[in-house]
Amino acid sequence: MTGPIRAGVRRLFRLAVRRGDSIREQMDEELRFHLDARVAHFIARGMTPEGARAEAMRRLGTSLPETLDRLGRSAVWKEQRMAMRERIDDLMHDVRYAVRGLMRRPGFAVVAVFTLAIGIGANTAIFSAVDALLLRALPFNNPSRLSDIALTSTSGGPTQWSWPKFQVYRNAQRSYSSVALMATMPATLTGADPDRISIESVTAAYLTTLGVRITMGHDFPAEQDSISGDAPKRALISNSLWQRRFQADPNVVGKFIHIDSDAYEIIGVLPPTFLGLSGKADVLIPVTARPTDELAAAQAWSLEYTMIGRLKPGVMPGRAASEARILGERVYDAYPFGKGMFTTGTADKWSAVARPLDTIRVAATVRRSLLVLFVAVGIVLLIACVNLANLLLGRASSRRQEIAVRLAIGAGRARLVRLLLTESLLLALAGGTASVLVGWWGTHLLRTLNDADALSAQGLASGIGGSGFESIRLDPRALVFTFAVTLFVGVFFGLVPALQATRPQLTAELKDGSSGSGLGGVRLGATRRILVVAEVALALMLLAGSGLMLRSLRNLMGVNPGFDSDRVLTLRLSVPPGVVAPDSMPGFYQEVQSALAAVPGVLQVALADCPPLNGGCNATIMTFPDRPQTVTGNAMVGVHWVSPSWFGTMRVPVKRGRLFTTDDRLGGPKVVVINEAAARKYFPNEDPVGKTVKVFQGGFDAGATVIGIVGDVRFGTVNSAAAPDTYISYNQARVSRMMIFLRTAGNPLTVVASARRTLHVIAPLDPVFDIRTMSERVGAATSQARFSATLLTLFAVIALGLAFMGIYGVMSFGVAQRTREIGIRIALGADRTRVLRMIVREGAVLVTIGAAIGLAAAFALTRLLRTLLFEVAPTDPVTYVGIVVVVGVAALVASWLPARQASRVEPTEALRR
Amino acid sequence: MAQPTPLLKGTLDVLVLKSLCWGAMHGFEITVWLEDHSAGYLAVDDGALYQALHRMEERLLIRAEWGITENNRRARYYMLTATGRAHLRSESASLVRYARTVMAILAEHPA
Repeated sequence: MTGPIRAGVRRLFRLAVRRGDSIREQMDEELRFHLDARVAHFIARGMTPEGARAEAMRRLGTSLPETLDRLGRSAVWKEQRMAMRERIDDLMHDVRYAVRGLMRRPGFAVVAVFTLAIGIGANTAIFSAVDALLLRALPFNNPSRLSDIALTSTSGGPTQWSWPKFQVYRNAQRSYSSVALMATMPATLTGADPDRISIESVTAAYLTTLGVRITMGHDFPAEQDSISGDAPKRALISNSLWQRRFQADPNVVGKFIHIDSDAYEIIGVLPPTFLGLSGKADVLIPVTARPTDELAAAQAWSLEYTMIGRLKPGVMPGRAASEARILGERVYDAYPFGKGMFTTGTADKWSAVARPLDTIRVAATVRRSLLVLFVAVGIVLLIACVNLANLLLGRASSRRQEIAVRLAIGAGRARLVRLLLTESLLLALAGGTASVLVGWWGTHLLRTLNDADALSAQGLASGIGGSGFESIRLDPRALVFTFAVTLFVGVFFGLVPALQATRPQLTAELKDGSSGSGLGGVRLGATRRILVVAEVALALMLLAGSGLMLRSLRNLMGVNPGFDSDRVLTLRLSVPPGVVAPDSMPGFYQEVQSALAAVPGVLQVALADCPPLNGGCNATIMTFPDRPQTVTGNAMVGVHWVSPSWFGTMRVPVKRGRLFTTDDRLGGPKVVVINEAAARKYFPNEDPVGKTVKVFQGGFDAGATVIGIVGDVRFGTVNSAAAPDTYISYNQARVSRMMIFLRTAGNPLTVVASARRTLHVIAPLDPVFDIRTMSERVGAATSQARFSATLLTLFAVIALGLAFMGIYGVMSFGVAQRTREIGIRIALGADRTRVLRMIVREGAVLVTIGAAIGLAAAFALTRLLRTLLFEVAPTDPVTYVGIVVVVGVAALVASWLPARQASRVEPTEALRR
Repeated sequence: MAQPTPLLKGTLDVLVLKSLCWGAMHGFEITVWLEDHSAGYLAVDDGALYQALHRMEERLLIRAEWGITENNRRARYYMLTATGRAHLRSESASLVRYARTVMAILAEHPA
């Protein structure tokens, strides 16, 4: 075998790597010597000195400087290549050494790689989520210059715009080069093969503001915004709709598309990457294409549009923000509440707020839970690393003698540290590679776990422009992150043990290989004890967080939403406006209801425009004509169109008065039912039944009589109490988009097929969609909380497991090193129980210190959770006591197991070692 | 002096290794050795020799060290490594086989 000489031989022969110029000097010297020797040789053979010199030069080839240069260069190259090869040889040697070392203890290697794979993989997955939802630039041109501008009131948070209010703002603002409105809504693509699509209703400058250029066709003309309503119906279609519905027809511009039975002329196709602010837009249509009366000044309080703006070059966001405050008040002055609209409640001051679009890309709770999870996985990784450091430390100390010998025969400390570091890096790289699998699985889970629908059902923004959960990918950025974490883990947590193991106090080690044989004293070493303390503290922090989240989740699941969700199927029927005449709508729905009631398995049928736990429904202002008009504020109420059967179907209890009957119909006296929250808030000291109220929607602004009070139903989110609500009978108000509720005898999903068939007979052109059981809706409404609590608990359990392994490892190592001492103690008559107690006590001390530190840290850190918790204080004593018990028991078991082993030591066996 | 024959490609390395079989030599000694042992038939270009030395040093076939000549001058001495010795064995065997074959063919006479 003709391998290269071993690395290190060069150094042995003092062939240190030389610098370029010194190599050239040496080459010069060698060649000069050669020439001199050659000349002397020729003279000795009888040549003249001149002839000898000439012949010597001839033998050299061309001119002397040229040869010198050529050989000098060749010598430098040679040295460089040799140095490089030596470095590679060293590295290969280290790697081989490390691999051999790891192969000798495969169990250790497997545990370490597995631990790291989980630790790093979890970090990769959560990083991918953080990156997709919070870090990655929004998919618009120069997104940092985009603002979200919202109306605000002192009583409510940021809210949306109406067309009249937008006009006031747009005409007065000076900070933005353009501002635009957008509202998203579902719609039906009518005609043959009807289809559900998502529409964005936008102003002309929408695409300009976002910095999107149309490649096919042209953008909306600017003049479409100078008219308020009945503008030409034009549409821009998404690239995917163009491919899907028009088979990528290059002549699509100029064709028509039918949306809710209205014909829109296609004027352009959007670029493939652009999905609108909503991230799911199929079609953009102009705001001003709506009927004039829907955009008139009377609709100033129909707040349905999001406003965005692009800052003018050089304008600081701060200036835009202060301008928004001033203009917000001006908007209110232009459209104050109408006469008689002021009623009870506190004075409301309206203004506007401008924030970078980036800050509203996800809801605050989502952002917060992601950050909490990121901290949590960081802690898991830290514990995994502490375990790795512990394991390496254990290995290093069992190799003390070998290392001491190496140091003694002159191996440099740096070289040894490098050798040991190679091992930890190798482990880290193996763990990092395996972690890609964990990360891939994790991102997949995150992507599917928290779908956008569930988030919006909780009233949470789910990412702007398609940068939501569905965009979480294990992309190159995440892989770079993984690689960086892996390197950091390998270096940082290999370095401490390596430095410690090569501490130059060799004499003792050389003299006595079994350093652990001395009597008395703890043999764990300060570093390992600190690591145990750290592990306990970190695990406790995580457990505290997850304990709080679990309690919060339990509270959330225990909330009574005000209805019975068991065995209820919900579905929607898309009835495009115009297909059924508005006035015959109640009749149409009556037909639908009676047909569905005949379906076997269906017990009750009901209708409502908005399902419970929808993340919010339609709301308006209510006034009280029999009270003095005090200019103090406004009474907001939710308005729900329901069929008389809805309360019974949903098991919503009647508290006072009566419910709707079929006699409450169009043309009859208008009646409303209110919920208890409305009764409490707006009729604190009187009986609302029989009172007259004005509800500014559905034609109830002329006044209606309150006929009954029902129990509160949570229409918003599970964790927010029901707001004041009013119900009006769909028999008394025209409305087209009703949701159908079926209470069934058995599993509600079994009636889906027959219900579909029945509806197809009545309305063959109206797609049925959004079919879900009410239980699914309730589940989706708590998905965000379940998501955070589940993941946090998962991480906490992993952390606890790792900490258990860590403590167990450290304690059994300590016991193994003290076997001789323990043997002597037992031989001298020590009670085995006392030995057991002694060792457990050692562990207990470390655990107590760790728990104390962990508790203090948890108290400080769980404040992060405050906004995520529902009816649990971040300092909830029950949780803390619980987790201290859990950690304490786990830690005691982890130190009891090795202790029991130690107490069973046979003295003869131990002393023989 | 007869006109020296230029070296066949690839043979220089083997010859240099062979020369070092007898012990460490500096570059000039190697050229003299080659000339002596070929009775002056082989011409070695000095520049080419040093490049060959660099090449073989890099391949760890030889190693170099500064030493002192009998005339008290510093010179770079080259010596065989274990790898170099093994390389020499295998290379010279194949070179000899090659030469024999060529010779045998050239020695054939038409019948």
